[in-house]
Amino acid sequence: MKTLATAVAAALAAMALGLPSGAAAQERTVKIAGFGAKSGVVRSFGVNSEAALLAAAEEINKAGGIKLGDGAKGKIAVEFYDDRCNAEEGISVIRRIASADWVVAVGPTCSNVAEPLFGILQKKVEDAGDSGLQMPVFTDVAIKVGLAKISQWAFRNVPNEFTMYSSLFNFVRTEFPDVKSVYGGVEEDFAHSRATWYAVMKNRADANGFKVLGESKWLLNDTNFATQVREMKKADADAIAISAHPFTTCGVLKEMQRQGVKPKVLIGLTSSSSLETLEGCAKQAEGMIIPTSFAPVNPKALAAAKSTSKFKGNADLHSMAAWENVFILKQVMESEKVLAKPDTVAADRRKIRDGLAKLKTTDGLIGVSRRDTDGEAEKPYLFVRAKNGQWTVYHNPL
Amino acid sequence: MLDLLQAILDGVMFGATYALIGIGFTLVFGVMHKINMAYAAASVGGAYCGLLVLVAFKGAPAWAVFLGAFAAGGVLGYLVYLACFHFIPLANPLATLMSTVGMLLLIDEIVVHTTDGMPQNYPAMFDDVMLRAGELSIRGDLLLIFGVGVACMAVLLALLYRTRLGLATRAVSQQPVAAQLCGIRVAQVNAATFVITGLLGGLAGALIGASVGALSPLLTVPLTVKGLIVTVIGGLGSIPGAIVAGLLVGGFENLFQQFRGVTERDLYVMLLLFAFLVFRPGGIFASGAGRD
Repeated sequence: MKTLATAVAAALAAMALGLPSGAAAQERTVKIAGFGAKSGVVRSFGVNSEAALLAAAEEINKAGGIKLGDGAKGKIAVEFYDDRCNAEEGISVIRRIASADWVVAVGPTCSNVAEPLFGILQKKVEDAGDSGLQMPVFTDVAIKVGLAKISQWAFRNVPNEFTMYSSLFNFVRTEFPDVKSVYGGVEEDFAHSRATWYAVMKNRADANGFKVLGESKWLLNDTNFATQVREMKKADADAIAISAHPFTTCGVLKEMQRQGVKPKVLIGLTSSSSLETLEGCAKQAEGMIIPTSFAPVNPKALAAAKSTSKFKGNADLHSMAAWENVFILKQVMESEKVLAKPDTVAADRRKIRDGLAKLKTTDGLIGVSRRDTDGEAEKPYLFVRAKNGQWTVYHNPL
Repeated sequence: MLDLLQAILDGVMFGATYALIGIGFTLVFGVMHKINMAYAAASVGGAYCGLLVLVAFKGAPAWAVFLGAFAAGGVLGYLVYLACFHFIPLANPLATLMSTVGMLLLIDEIVVHTTDGMPQNYPAMFDDVMLRAGELSIRGDLLLIFGVGVACMAVLLALLYRTRLGLATRAVSQQPVAAQLCGIRVAQVNAATFVITGLLGGLAGALIGASVGALSPLLTVPLTVKGLIVTVIGGLGSIPGAIVAGLLVGGFENLFQQFRGVTERDLYVMLLLFAFLVFRPGGIFASGAGRD
């Protein structure tokens, strides 16, 4: 009797200590780290990415979670780190993530962080002499052309601006046959906007038979665009392409209105197809055409946008890439049989990396994306136009 | 030649925004011999608070928003004084300098967190007015800012030279101990200085937001830097100096941009500052023993 009582007491004590019961052992935590700019002037990007990650994780968890390699269920846990859109901070954050038990990192926001950050990852997977970080990084926002090839641990789910602007200028050429010339406006001191004008927009405009008359330059912090817009006015181009983020885009558009500069076609930067632009200068941006890899054009996209808004984020091409990333990672983890155990972190990271590298296509919110051997995505896209204070679908090549 | 003249004119008119910020910096220095690094941030913060008028009264006119910013600036100015000067030993110059740097960062982060870093549309007055003088054109809203700057200068000079508060302020700036011995409450005078500069700052922030068309946390640091440059070039403690220097810096900025491009523009503005520091460290209106 005494022995039985002792045994029962011991069992109860074990349960109280949280020793795994049969049922509890079937569920584990799959830890996904997000990181990006959650402070500073590009904070909205980080806020939206975090909201999308949390929303996607909640949706997957509600549906039962991830099926792990040993049959157990894994519930996703997301934590978002702030890299302040600063390269040193970004590197510090990824080192902190890699030293903990996160199996994959989704981020960063800024291309000026992504480029050096990818540089500290192991360049080639089988290179034993390379002591770089062995941490899969799956980027949602940083969009500067050609970064993922820096490391075999880097993958991106960002639209290919080269393809999109090529298609856009081709569309403009057919839709607006009287448009023959293009003049640019470029934010010189931001990696993305600078690269997109010189390496993408200018190049693609020229390739599509437009005469590029030049460009006006300004800085991210500038507030006076009188000289630059006067240059635009003097150039008298049929189309103006502004490769700048919302704040200076709005500043330039307002100055264009003051000086009476009215091009036949106005083209913007992908990152400016956001709520920020419309809140800053809806009237002046009327008619601006921007290629984007997200618009709420189907029930799936609408639902994702609605879920993200519950976590106080806005749905745009950047944040919805974060949403897609979580679902892609779920697919990869299940196919590669990730275990999500404390002693399998390194192995799980390798499996995720290998799984991402194997992908040829992924399901996105507006269509299927193709993946290339450099770890980049070829995402479906459409053209949106600012109309009556909203971004409306102008042309859907899908 | 016409392009060059227009560029300089645009720069000079935009320099009126720098002048407004410079007046605030120089006034605090003139009275307390301290730099308030949080001044531009508080001005922008005041301007943001002015937007609450639009939240409370949809469709309120621009002048009502400016009035709200004016009042909020005064409150923020007083809070900056309390947090960064009142309880900190004024004998230690580094302590107040660092406290105002901390306040600048704090205000910046509060703005970023409250607005998620999203620029806020700002109502403007005369922004659609372009005055023409032959081939040259001048923005109506920048002319308003210039006018406000001159008016503020006149009001401040009248305050300093025609009122008891002004007399007390000048006494405190020249000889704080002697002023105290004469029964002047130094703390009250300092607080009043911050409230007055805060009121001006709120209005300056609102006018700057209106001239840009939007308020953004991006404005804080550049305005702080330009305000300090204008204060040094104009002469520490000189209100007319701040106005003249503001217009000069704006004009030179555009001139450098015209010749050397936007990427080298700020380099030359800094070189201009260094030139003044080397050849005329007191600024354009270098004052003697006393202060304005």
